[in-house]
Amino acid sequence: MSWSELLAELFFMPAIAFVVGLFMVLMMRKIAAKIQRRVGPPFFQPLYDIVKLYQKDTQVSHGLWHDIGIVMAVGGYIGAEILLPVPGFDGIADKGGIITLSYFLMIPSLGMALGVGQCANPNGSIGISRALTAMLAYDIPFIIVVFGVAWHFQSTSLVEMVEYQQVHQWGIFEMPLLAFAGLFALQGMMGKHPFEIYVAPAEIATGPMVEMSGKYMGGLFVMQSFQFYTAGVLYTSLFLGGGENWITFLIKCFAVIAIPISIAYVFPRFRTEDVVRLLWKWPVMMGLIGLAFVM
Amino acid sequence: MKNIEIKTTQQRTNPLANVFDRFMQFCQSRSLFMLHYCTGCGAIELPPAMTSRFDMERLGIQPMVTPRQADILLITGYVSVKTLKRVILTYEQMQSPKYVIGICSCTVNGGMYWQSYATAKKLNDYLPVDLYIAGCMPRPEAVIEGLQLLQNKIANNDGHSWKDYFQNYDYYLGNQQHLFGEDWQTPTDIITEAKHYGLEAEGTYGKHTELLAKHQHPLQPLPLKTNN
Repeated sequence: MSWSELLAELFFMPAIAFVVGLFMVLMMRKIAAKIQRRVGPPFFQPLYDIVKLYQKDTQVSHGLWHDIGIVMAVGGYIGAEILLPVPGFDGIADKGGIITLSYFLMIPSLGMALGVGQCANPNGSIGISRALTAMLAYDIPFIIVVFGVAWHFQSTSLVEMVEYQQVHQWGIFEMPLLAFAGLFALQGMMGKHPFEIYVAPAEIATGPMVEMSGKYMGGLFVMQSFQFYTAGVLYTSLFLGGGENWITFLIKCFAVIAIPISIAYVFPRFRTEDVVRLLWKWPVMMGLIGLAFVM
Repeated sequence: MKNIEIKTTQQRTNPLANVFDRFMQFCQSRSLFMLHYCTGCGAIELPPAMTSRFDMERLGIQPMVTPRQADILLITGYVSVKTLKRVILTYEQMQSPKYVIGICSCTVNGGMYWQSYATAKKLNDYLPVDLYIAGCMPRPEAVIEGLQLLQNKIANNDGHSWKDYFQNYDYYLGNQQHLFGEDWQTPTDIITEAKHYGLEAEGTYGKHTELLAKHQHPLQPLPLKTNN
């Protein structure tokens, strides 16, 4: 691959991810509205929100780490996008592999923790400590799933996994238990109900986001669209055969994201200790049994 | 409001820049995050306005829970002197452009609390109010119509009342001092903010801000201690 091609991919992969992620956010809000028997937001609402937030005339920064935290939160996901193979673009996916990707997926939460820590708002501190506990809870089943999938395909490269699935059959048919455990971890990773205690708008005033205003909040909205895209593409690459072309690929990604969202809006939320207990019991158990089957 | 005339942003000469500005104003008008400070009975009309019956989200309006994230401060009902202090603290923490909407007769003139010694009668003596929605209580249709009026104002580059708080700070501070006493001070330093963002005007300074400067002390972090 020449340098110019690589540079083009490094630009286009996050750009596509952002646009697709905006549509995923729109889908989330539309599904929520339909479940609650509402009309829901207009088509361009996610775009309006982000433009408005970046357009604020005054901004409150609580210090250097507050700024850097947001950059880390968005940057971690932008780094993750170029490690995810999509139809036509491989980026540096064959160099990185899924272990590098797992590390990249932790950067946003840690960046948020740094940024929120400097805000010195007690609600923010409570929120981020809950968020990191939730991360510990869903990362255990996630790592078991990643390990099982890598063992099954005898590779840590996402490109090779996708190629194998396209030749043989989808991972979900070969390792259904791991796929189910992965779906559990996905629900936690996206921070949706019932694992949404760290946001808790009515109790701790959106937790980590409590002091975020203007462009900081805009950064988090951008992060959310990247987050949805990353979760959808990662699951699709591991279990649903990745993408042969953009149409089937996007249908798979949107279907994957629609499942946790549809579950989210009909459930209340668990407490933090119950989140940990639930995620360390059922998905871990299923993941370990699935792991035993592939070994 | 003491001085209605507010310096609005001048039209730029570059036609493309104007298109850009119009687009920004349109986005601002179609995405409003609302912090509802529910002080009185008017709060009961908001849940139907937000949920499936009238659904504000189809207009791009959604509730937010902290002043940092919010664009609209919606005050629904009477404002007692104690409440007003909190309302002002909340308003000053919001990021501009910010809008204040007073719902119910109580915010307009005290309503049925007209004779109360502890109720602030006119909200716009203490904060620049963009819009009043009168009624006791206004129905959700009226609330949504009021919010649409505000949206039209913003889209037509007319929603600059928040600048009045910076440009006539002395007037608002005077009214606040009259009510809360001369040692009234909020955590947000409005004069420094006005300087920083270039929003100073003649009305920013006056005898009330001089009084404030005499006793104003910078915010200190709370001492760390555990209750054993």
